Amino acid sequence: MSPLSRRQLLSLGLGASAAAVLAGCATPGTTSVNTLPTIPPAAGKVRLEYWAWLKGLDQVTDLYNKSQDRVQVETVFIPGGNAGGYQKLYSALAAGAGPDIAQVELRSLPEFLLANGVVDLKRYGAEKYEELYDPTLWNQVSYTGGIYAVPQDSGPMGMFYQPAVFDQVGAAVPATWDEWAAVGAELKGAGVLMDSFPLADASPFAAYATQAGASWFTAEEDGWVIDMTDEATLKVAAFFDKAIDDGIVTTAYGAYTPAWFSAAADGKIASVATGSWGDALIEGVSGAEGKWKVAPLPTWDSGYASSFLGGSTAAILANSQHPQEALEFAVWMTTTPEGVNALIEFCGIGWSPAVDVVGTLREKPSAFFSGQNYNQEVFVPATKESSQNQDWSWWPVTQQSFNILSDGFRGKASGGTLVDAVAQAEKDIISVMQAKGLSIRKASA
Amino acid sequence: MSAGMETRPETAAATRATAPGRGRDGGGDATRRKGASSGAVKRAPWVLLFPFLALFLLTFIVPILMALVSSFTKVTRGGLFGEAGVVTEFAGFDNYAQVIGDPNFVASIGRMFLFGIVQVPVMLILCTVLALLLESASAKWPGVFRAAYFLPYGVPGVIATILWSFLYVPGLSPIIDVAEVFGVSPDFLGANTVLWSIANIVTWSYTGYNMLIIIAQLKSIPVELYEAAKVDGASALRVATSIQLPLIRPALLLTAVFSIIGTLQLFAEAQVLQRVAPAIDSQYTPNLSAYTTAFAYNDYNVAAAQSVLIALVAFTLSIVFLTITNRKSA
Repeated sequence: MSPLSRRQLLSLGLGASAAAVLAGCATPGTTSVNTLPTIPPAAGKVRLEYWAWLKGLDQVTDLYNKSQDRVQVETVFIPGGNAGGYQKLYSALAAGAGPDIAQVELRSLPEFLLANGVVDLKRYGAEKYEELYDPTLWNQVSYTGGIYAVPQDSGPMGMFYQPAVFDQVGAAVPATWDEWAAVGAELKGAGVLMDSFPLADASPFAAYATQAGASWFTAEEDGWVIDMTDEATLKVAAFFDKAIDDGIVTTAYGAYTPAWFSAAADGKIASVATGSWGDALIEGVSGAEGKWKVAPLPTWDSGYASSFLGGSTAAILANSQHPQEALEFAVWMTTTPEGVNALIEFCGIGWSPAVDVVGTLREKPSAFFSGQNYNQEVFVPATKESSQNQDWSWWPVTQQSFNILSDGFRGKASGGTLVDAVAQAEKDIISVMQAKGLSIRKASA
Repeated sequence: MSAGMETRPETAAATRATAPGRGRDGGGDATRRKGASSGAVKRAPWVLLFPFLALFLLTFIVPILMALVSSFTKVTRGGLFGEAGVVTEFAGFDNYAQVIGDPNFVASIGRMFLFGIVQVPVMLILCTVLALLLESASAKWPGVFRAAYFLPYGVPGVIATILWSFLYVPGLSPIIDVAEVFGVSPDFLGANTVLWSIANIVTWSYTGYNMLIIIAQLKSIPVELYEAAKVDGASALRVATSIQLPLIRPALLLTAVFSIIGTLQLFAEAQVLQRVAPAIDSQYTPNLSAYTTAFAYNDYNVAAAQSVLIALVAFTLSIVFLTITNRKSA
C-alpha cells in the first residue's frame, strides 16, 4: 500500500469535514417546530429578545420589565419588513437562531408560516385572548386551525386632504370614488394632483380591492383557491387605469417619498388615501400644521367602508425557548391600556389592535389637524367589524405576489394596463405556488 | 488517525534512504540532521498556510460547494403551508430551468449586458484620458488631481448612491431646478433613464480607481522610450498613441475584466436607488434578483441556481473577452 502523503491526508480531512458541513446544512425551514412537544413555562427568570422596527420600543419593554421581575424583554432594532428586517429574520431562522419575538407584518405572516418560522400559539392557549382583539385582525393571524401571531398594530384607511386645495376648485370632500374622480378632474385643471398611485408597491391596490369586496385567496380543504380577476378587483383596476390615464394621480412617486413630501408641501397634491399611521408622516410635511384634515375613505358602489393598509404582528419565532412567556408579554403589550398607550406614545403605532383600547392620546382632538378629533370621527368607525372585509386572507407568497403585481404595474408606464397586469399576475402567482408544491386552483367563475 | 501514525515512520525511512544519494559527505549524524530539518521544511509551508487555507475553505470553497449542492436541491411543501409534508429531493436541473424560464431574470442579465457595453468603454476611455493627461509633461499639480479623481472610490457605493439620489429626485435636485429654468425637465429616475443614472454613479465611483491602475502602468514605461521619441521629434499625441497606449494594454485588459465582472455583480447602487426610483424592480440586476429570491421569497435553492448562473456568465464573458483580445495581439 502506498503511504499517504500529508497533502492527501490534509485533503482527506478537509474533504471529510466539508462533507460533514454540507450534510449538516439541509435547506433551511424544512422541519416544523409545531410538531415538537410544547415548552413548559420556565421556573426561574427569563430573558426574551424582541426584534422590531418600531422606534422607541425599548421604552415600552422597560415598562413591562419594571412591572415584574421574572421576565425581562430586550429589544433589537431591525430595518422595516422587506427593507432588510425579514432578510435578517430569515437568515437567523435558517441558522437555527433568532429572537423570541419578531415584528412580522400581517401580510408576511403566512410566509413565515411556510418557512416553519413561527410557533402555533394555540398550543400555548392563545385562543383565550381572541375576544380582546379586533376580529378582522384576528382572522388574519389564524390559519389552518392555528394562531400564529398576536396582532400588534394596524392601519385602518382614511383620506387625509388639504381643505384649502379643495377650496381652490370649490370641491366638497368626496364620499365615493366616483366623486373622488370628479374632484380630481377639476383639480387637474388647476394643476394639482389628487393623489399618487405607486406602481412599485401593490399594497395600496390590494387594500382598495379588499375594500371593494375582493378576496384573492381562500384556504379550502383541498388547497388554496385564487381569485384575482373577480368583479371587484377588475373594477378597481379599471378605475385606477382611468385615473392614471386622466392624470388625476401621479405614478412618478409613491406617498411619503422625498418627491411626495416636496409636492405635498407645495400644495401640488391634494389628498392621500392611506392608513391611520399617515398622520405622523403628514406631520412631517414642512409647514403643514393646520392645512390637513381627515375624511373617511371614499367608497365603491359595493364592498366596505374601509380597509386596512399595513399592520403587523408580534410573532413568536420557532427557535424561542420561552414561547409561553413571550406570548404573555405580547398580549400585555397589545391589549392593556398601559401597553397600548406606550406603543402609541413611544412608537407611534398606526392603530391599536385591541378591540376596547384605542389609547388615551387618540381620544382627544388634534391641534395639528385643525382641532379635528379625527381618530374618533374617522378611524374608530373604520375599524368596526362591519366596515372591514372579513373574507380577506393573506397567503404564503405575498411578497413575491406583490412584486409580480408591481412588475406588471410598471408596464403601465409603457402602455400596459392594470387590468392586464392583474390577470397576468394571477397566472404567474399560480405557477409560483405550484413550484413550491402547494395546492392551488383558480376559483370557478 | 491510525493511518497518520503508520505513515510517519515510513516517510522518515524514505527520507533517510534517499538522503545518502543526495549528500556527498554522507556521515550518519549529518543525514539524520538533514532528514529532521527537511521534515520541518516540508511542514513549514502548511503551518504558515493553515490560517489562510482554513479561512479560504470555510468562507470560499465550502460556500461555493454548498451553493452548488443547494442549486440541485428542491423542497416541495404540500397542502396550504406545507403541513401535508415537506419533501427535500434532488432536483436535477429543475431550478436552473425555472431560473432561465423567468423572463425577469433573463431580462436583468440582458440589462447588465446593455449597461456593460456602454458603461465599461465610457469609463475606460475616460480613465485612460485622465491618466494620460495627468502623466503628460505639461500637467499641473498631478498629485492633487490624482487624489481628487481617486476620492470618489473612497466613498462606499451605498453612500455614493444616496448622495446622487439627492441630485436625481425631482423637487430636491438642483440639477432639475436649473434645467427647468431652460425649459427642460429631465427625468433621471424614469423607466428608460434610471439605468444610465446608475451607470453615472458607477462611472463616478470607479473611474479614479481604474485611472490609478493605468497610471501605475504608465509609470513603469522606461524613460529611454520617451527620450528616443523626443529625439525623433514625436508630438505629445504621437507619444500617447505610439508608446503609452500600446504599453498600458495589460492594465487596460485588467481593468476591463474587473469592470465586466463588476457590472454583472451590480447590487448596492440599484438596491439603494430603488427607494426613490419606482422603475427599479426587485429583479433589476441579477444579484438583486438572487438576493430577493433568497431572502424575500425564502427560496434558497432557486437563489443558489441564480448565483451559479451569474458566476458562469461572468466567467464566460471574461474568458471570451480575454480570448478575443489575445487573438488580436497574436
